[in-house]
Order: sequence, then structure tokens, then C-alpha cells
Amino acid sequence: MNKTSSLDQVERAVFRLSQNDGLYDILLGCLMSQMALAPLLSNRLGDFWSSAVFLPLWFGVMAAIWWLKRHVVAPRMGTVSYGPARKRKLAIFTWVMLILNLAVFILGLITAANVGRISGEQTSLLLGLMLLGFFSLGAYFMDVPRLYLYGLLLGLAPPVGEWLYQEHGFSHHGFPVTFGTAAVVMIVTGVVLFVRLMRQPPIEMDGEQFEDQHHE
Amino acid sequence: MSDDGSVELHPLADINTIIHAPARLMVLTYLYVVESADYVFLIRLTGLSWGNLSTHMGKLEEAGYVAVHKEFRGRKPHTSISLTPQGREAFRAYKQRMQQMLDQLPD
Repeated sequence: MNKTSSLDQVERAVFRLSQNDGLYDILLGCLMSQMALAPLLSNRLGDFWSSAVFLPLWFGVMAAIWWLKRHVVAPRMGTVSYGPARKRKLAIFTWVMLILNLAVFILGLITAANVGRISGEQTSLLLGLMLLGFFSLGAYFMDVPRLYLYGLLLGLAPPVGEWLYQEHGFSHHGFPVTFGTAAVVMIVTGVVLFVRLMRQPPIEMDGEQFEDQHHE
Repeated sequence: MSDDGSVELHPLADINTIIHAPARLMVLTYLYVVESADYVFLIRLTGLSWGNLSTHMGKLEEAGYVAVHKEFRGRKPHTSISLTPQGREAFRAYKQRMQQMLDQLPD
């Protein structure tokens, strides 16, 4: 076997297939759309409620994804339990993200305590770098290359938004435009993948086949 | 290579023919890299029909290379397949044997 058919690549192909239903792209896109929509709502609802209003939406989206995975994706794509190497990689990824989230939380507190001393450009650059880092790590650990593109779009969103705000007078630091664009790209990608999967008929076996299996 | 310089292919004679069939080799390769997978997932990966996959699975199960777990999820039957330790070892040995064989072949 040569390099192109190495077992690592086979494992990666299996993992990618199992992640190719587009639902997590839609979820991430919906989450990021909050960054675009919350600033627009903040004028009417205030900072807290403009974000809190999205909570029921996330529960709804997550419940819908759970239902779709179980009743729509599984009959078409099947289910797989990953091997130990993949499980280890995902566990490392979870820990890395947990530590990074904690670091970002602390950084957020420091930034909030130093409002006025940190410029808008610096804050937007920092936010952009964090988003780029998060998604790049996701792309690396999850072996899903399109996450690099999402990372790039989201990483550019804060500095480009800040530039649009300062140079062209876009409202809300340009977030509705830049994060909105990134969210639309993610949601459209997810919808395309999901529709592609939906066009495949479900593979189901009846009870008789189930009983007879392997006893022909 | 033998003493007269010719390539010895006789190790191919005792190659594991249960694994060597293309469809079964494909299935075992996929199962080797995961813990378990269900029929639908294997059909998607391999492009085999349900009946074809079922026949090959029967042979692999008979050889003790795969374990088939049947259950009902709600009212729907669900079958997942995993490699047994014996199947994992057989696949490893087959891979090693084939690699040795192919490495011996001249370019």
C-alpha cells in the first residue's frame, strides 16, 4: 500500500464522511449570526436582552439538529463509532478548547476592566485572532479543511468591520456586515451539503431482512 | 528473490483468501480504522448493495473476523459491525504479508 491509501487517510475519509451532513455548518452559522444580529437589536433591547433573546433560538436549533441527525441523516448516512486514535484526538481538542475558552474569558474580563485604554483596533484584532485560532484548531483536530475558510472569514470579520466603521461609517463596528457575511457563507455551505445528502434515498431494511441477515 | 534472481511468488499461495476478495478487503479496511459502523454507513463507504454486503459479512462472521450486533432503536432494527480481535490480527498479518510481497517485486 502506498501513501495515498494509507490507513490514516482511510480513517480521515471515514471521519469526514460522517461529518459531511452540513448540520454543524448550519449550527455554527446560526451561532455566528448572533454576532451580526445582536448589535442591531441592542438599541431596542439593551446589551443583555439582545443576546439573551437568542437562547431559545439555540435550544430550538440544537433540538432540530438532534432530530434531523437521528431521523434524516442516520437512515441516509449511517452511524459510526470512531476508533481510539480519533477519540483521543477529539478528547485533546475538547481540552484545548476548554483551556482556550477559559483564557478568552479571563482576557475578556481584563479587556472590560480596561475599557478606554484598549483601542477599538486592538480589541478587534485580538477578537479576530482568537476566532482564527479557534477555527484553525478545529480544522486541524477535526480534519475538516473548510473550517480554515470559516476561521479566515471570522478572523477578518472584526478588523474589517472596524475599518468599515471608521472609514465608511458602517454602524455597530461593521459587525452586522462582516459577521453576517461569514454566517451566510457557513449556513449556505451547510444547506448545500444537507440538500446533497437529502437527495440520496434512505437505506432501510425491514424486520425480515434483519432476522435473516447472515443466515442465508 | 530466489538464488537464481527470479521473484518468488509462492507466498501468495497461502495468502488469506477470506480477506483477499476486494469487497471484503474494503470492508475490513474501513472496520479496521473505526470501533464499529452500521450497515448503512458501510454501504455508503463501499458502494456495495445491501445483499452483497450481507453475503460478505456472513463470510467474515463465519471466519470469526467480525462481530455483528443487532438491536432495535425505537421500532427500527439496527445492525452494527465491529472487527473482532481475531479479525484485527488477521488483517494486520494480511497487510504485512502483502506489503512484503509487493516490496519484493522489481520496479
